Amino acid sequence: MALGLTLAVLGGALACILGGIGSAIGVGLAGQASSGVMSEDPEKFGSLLLLVALPGTQGIYGFLSAFLVILKIGFTTGAIPKLTVFNGWQILVACLPVAFAGLVSGIHQGKVCASGVYMVAKQPKDLMKPVIMAALVETYAVLGLLITILLLNGIKL
Amino acid sequence: MALAEVEKVQVVAHSDVKMELLSSLQESGLIQLEEATLEEFDLVSSSTEATELEHTLHRLKHALDYFSQEEEKGFLKKLFAQKPSLPRQKRQEVLGFDYQSVLDELEKLEAEKSEILSEIKFLDRERDFLYPLQELSLPVSSVESTDSTEIVLASLPLSQLENLQKLAEEEAIWFEVIHQDKRQIRLLVFYPKQEKIQIEQNLEELDFSHVYFTEPIKSVAEPKDRVKDIMEKIGKKIEEKREEVEALDRARRRLAVEREKIMLVHDVLLNEREKILSSRLLGETERVFYLEGWIRSFDIERLKSYLQSFSENIQLYFRSPLPEEDPPSILENPKPSKPFEVVTKLYGLPQRGSLDPTLPLAPFFFIFVGLCVSEAGYGLIVTILSLLYIKLAKPKGGLLLFLKLLTLLGISTVILGTLVGGWLGFPIRQLMILDPLRDPLSFLILALALGFIQVWFGTLLKLIDGLKNKLILQSIFVQGGWLLLLPSLVLYFLTRHNFWGILSLVGAAGIVFFASPSRNPLARFFGGLYSLYDISRYLADVLSYSRLLALGLATSVIAMVVNTLCQTALDIPWIGWLLAALIFLGGHLFNLAISYLGGFVHSMRLQFVEFFSKFFRSGGKPFKPFEMESKFVEFI
Repeated sequence: MALGLTLAVLGGALACILGGIGSAIGVGLAGQASSGVMSEDPEKFGSLLLLVALPGTQGIYGFLSAFLVILKIGFTTGAIPKLTVFNGWQILVACLPVAFAGLVSGIHQGKVCASGVYMVAKQPKDLMKPVIMAALVETYAVLGLLITILLLNGIKL
Repeated sequence: MALAEVEKVQVVAHSDVKMELLSSLQESGLIQLEEATLEEFDLVSSSTEATELEHTLHRLKHALDYFSQEEEKGFLKKLFAQKPSLPRQKRQEVLGFDYQSVLDELEKLEAEKSEILSEIKFLDRERDFLYPLQELSLPVSSVESTDSTEIVLASLPLSQLENLQKLAEEEAIWFEVIHQDKRQIRLLVFYPKQEKIQIEQNLEELDFSHVYFTEPIKSVAEPKDRVKDIMEKIGKKIEEKREEVEALDRARRRLAVEREKIMLVHDVLLNEREKILSSRLLGETERVFYLEGWIRSFDIERLKSYLQSFSENIQLYFRSPLPEEDPPSILENPKPSKPFEVVTKLYGLPQRGSLDPTLPLAPFFFIFVGLCVSEAGYGLIVTILSLLYIKLAKPKGGLLLFLKLLTLLGISTVILGTLVGGWLGFPIRQLMILDPLRDPLSFLILALALGFIQVWFGTLLKLIDGLKNKLILQSIFVQGGWLLLLPSLVLYFLTRHNFWGILSLVGAAGIVFFASPSRNPLARFFGGLYSLYDISRYLADVLSYSRLLALGLATSVIAMVVNTLCQTALDIPWIGWLLAALIFLGGHLFNLAISYLGGFVHSMRLQFVEFFSKFFRSGGKPFKPFEMESKFVEFI
């Protein structure tokens, strides 16, 4: 049924969109901070890049989940199975953990990374400490991804 | 798992050998100097020699900065560049090189250059000034008032031009517009000297302002020169000056042959400075000085042999650290687990008396990164690249340790990638024990089981740590209780066998009766009961390991996505194969980078948050031996 398919596509799109928004804001925050630091100390580009890239994972997780949906509903092969409305809802809801966890954790990870950037400006040797701090936030995006994968895996079409 | 034994070394020696002894100690790099604590000795007051050295070092550094700026090297060459080496004992010979004259020459050339540059700037400004006056029809020398007529150059806002025309009709003013831009006009103005005061007053109301040729322009102007000729002359002069600058640059660049010698001198003097600065830690009387520091027990014999030549003038004493002292923590690990010290050091060194967590975390970290990346192709790339870098660039110290760690983690990824992942997105099913894409639940159980083992192991280490620190009863009953309770509870839920149920109750009883330090039996019981609530922490810790599945899956799926995109690209006619190759290369490199970043960071977090929190007490001070520091040179 077309509605089922539409819902499934909406789910994949949401995962990609919300994760992407989270990451974009997060990377943006960290990027602004690091440009500020680099205006004083251009040498730090390499180490700051790591911190700026870190909140980018949520977008990747969202993209990845969307791709799993694409695989699930057979867009790659062209053999699109008939989805009931319930199937569609199931796939949509299965995408929500990664979507919302990614949206919120991406933003907050960006904040942690931005303050990490300021820390590295003063303590260049302690680069990995803010990275670990940021990873603590990312945990919840990872868990969201995990549940989305498990849910998608469990839905039988 | 223990830290290296550290002893305090105390040296009393005759003042005559002070600097020589410090040199030898610096060469040996075995001792961390501490401020002398014996009250019979006064601390050496700071010496002025250091400030002079500081100044020379600054000049040397400036010269080296210039050389490295001038040097053009490819990225790869820079990456694999090696420092020149210098034998420690021969370092005084380096100072025989007349570096002062090189520095003087360099600085002289630099000063000359900046002077010429400022001249060029000045000439440029003159030329800009002349630019709007180009069309002036008179020679410059004739813009000079005569006995009866004022001849002046002037500028006027464009908006006042009309007013000026009106004024010219009323009074005896003749003018010619030389140049006109959006806001300003330049004029040549004639008016009779008799009416000067009146006319100038009127002109001033129009925002009229005089323009004078500057002295330098007048001085180069020959009687018949027009503005254009002068501009040409200035242009030629600038060219000449530029050539002079280039000649100076060439001369400076020729000095770059001395670069390596300057590097040697810089590092030797750097160490001289360190030596002078460290002498402030010494205690001194008129004839004798005293120093103390920390040394690894293991190195004592080496120190003695190093100081053999001083044996007549010095006295050495060694003793174990006192309870109130805080010696530095030195990690000591066998070769295979040594690279994992990188992880420990990142968190912080162990306190005195705490366990060194490096060896316990090594196997877990090894497996976790492998599982998170789980892509054998990436592992192979990382292993080969790190080995190549070690071979070609010969890094030292922390970087070498890190590269060794990367090599090990690459190997782990190859093994685990083959078993549960694939090779660049293509799984080899015959070799796989588990496919996380088809059977994620089994993989989840594997991840949680690994987590359970590490958490349990961490609790075991806490038990050992407690026993070492004489907390025997509490350690055996509480930590032992958890060690019994956790696995038997899991087994009880799995088998529903009463035996495991009873065993877990025994463990719980140990916790309930010994967890609280209170003497009041009731408070003790309820306190103990409350600490059973910690089981939720253990549960959360173990669940946290589910990230291994998520990260492993993410790598495999992205690798698969890359390959699928390649397949799609191949369908494009003509350039399909090229696009596919680009996507394949770029996609997998990107995936490699983010997988290793994620794998590294999350595996580390599992050590720091889930594992270390069970037993590890950090807060140790690092060992900073008094040694040869090298910035540009490797001392051998």
